[in-house]
Amino acid sequence: MTLLDVTSPGNVSVVLFFGTIGMLALTIGLIVFIIFHQRKVIRYQMKLQKMEQDQQKLLLNASIRLQEEERQRIAADLHDDAGPLLATARLYLNENLVNLDKTTQLQSIYNAKQIIDDTIQLIRNISHSLMPPTLKNFGLESAVNDLFQKISGSGSMNASSRFHDYRERLQAENELIIFRVIQELVNNILKHSNASFIHLTQNTSGNKFFIRLHHDGRGITQNDFIKLNKSNVGLGLKNIQSRLKVLHGKIFFEKDMSQTYYKVTIELVKEEEDKLQEQE
Amino acid sequence: MLVVTYLAYFAEILPISFYLIFLKRNRGEGLWVIFLYCVLSLLTEGLFVLIQQQLVFSGFIIVQFGLFSYYFYSTFRQKNFRYIALLGSAVFCVVAIANFSNERFTWIAESLTSILVIIYCILSLYEQIKDPETVFVYRNKKFWVTIALFIYFSSTLFLYLFSTTLSREQRHMYWAINNFFEILKNILFSVSFIMIKDRSTPATMEYIDN
Repeated sequence: MTLLDVTSPGNVSVVLFFGTIGMLALTIGLIVFIIFHQRKVIRYQMKLQKMEQDQQKLLLNASIRLQEEERQRIAADLHDDAGPLLATARLYLNENLVNLDKTTQLQSIYNAKQIIDDTIQLIRNISHSLMPPTLKNFGLESAVNDLFQKISGSGSMNASSRFHDYRERLQAENELIIFRVIQELVNNILKHSNASFIHLTQNTSGNKFFIRLHHDGRGITQNDFIKLNKSNVGLGLKNIQSRLKVLHGKIFFEKDMSQTYYKVTIELVKEEEDKLQEQE
Repeated sequence: MLVVTYLAYFAEILPISFYLIFLKRNRGEGLWVIFLYCVLSLLTEGLFVLIQQQLVFSGFIIVQFGLFSYYFYSTFRQKNFRYIALLGSAVFCVVAIANFSNERFTWIAESLTSILVIIYCILSLYEQIKDPETVFVYRNKKFWVTIALFIYFSSTLFLYLFSTTLSREQRHMYWAINNFFEILKNILFSVSFIMIKDRSTPATMEYIDN
């Protein structure tokens, strides 16, 4: 027996009326839902896009500000240190023209030489801070080891590093970016964490390249990192983010399973590195 | 009632005219199938007035379903949905062959067409919101064709289902529902034929994909 057979003729009109109205309401409801749902999805995507643009803007601003700070630092170093040193050396040399006493002349030449040596050392330091020679000549592993030895040597913190699989050097520009990121992270740890040790390990897994930093001081987690990245503070972290963006790399801040140590993991894809190399 | 009936006849001319006027806009969209359906629908109405034989309507229902199946089959982008369209056609063919000599053939075929076209419309709308071709779904010609068919077939489904139980007078009275939605369907087809192709791709979606 079908629905039609059991429906009495008197009820047909009612069923037909309500059936048609019901179907129409369902159809129109579905169409309206589709239109509004799509608008909602588009609004959400536009919001996401705007957030991403804001984030990009923040990163760009951070990178510009950092560049300006670096320039100001170099300018200050040159103006405050190299400038007076050279001016003093000039004074000593000038004295030779005025004072004809041989001993005094020799003394002033010796003093001028000392000052020029200091200036050379100062300029070398500025140059090394711009591009560490160890990094350029011997690669990331040596530069990181050198940096950690210096930290350890200062006696303020026990710093060690170990590269497990770094037979093939990365591209020079990329090594510099990674080195700067490590420098920034180490700098942050030195400044804010109050840690007693810092340990760096390098590893590879498949086509991925990992660098992990461990320390026992106060650190941040991924949530803190995201929050700081979205805020106007945390210039150094934004700088890290923008540098890693160039390499399509990722960074993770987390607390160790034992809740004793903080870990920072930098993850890079080696293929991305090859692609960048090909593009160049 | 008579006014609505005449309006329904005249409404059939609307999409045909607009398709021909804006022929350039409607190329390559699979809309020729809908145009062909409108022409056949108009011819069937005319032929029925002349011949007055049920066979004309039976033939039209088969061709109508064939056209809709082809339209949806060619516009579906997901393979699974294409298979569903093929499966629906196969079911329709089996039912049509089995009941062709049955006096209730028109009722069975028309009801089955309504149910299958409603399913195709839901799948098509789902596909359009899941994988949009344009930024706004209502800027797509396909969307208007789909909602025209969706509204028409879902509104007349109960009418076709109960058509055999209705008396001649009742059928005459309720046929106004069909005529009204026939007008609406043709207006929506016309909207689809008139509207300019939206070439703007959903940039936000591309952005997300990247």
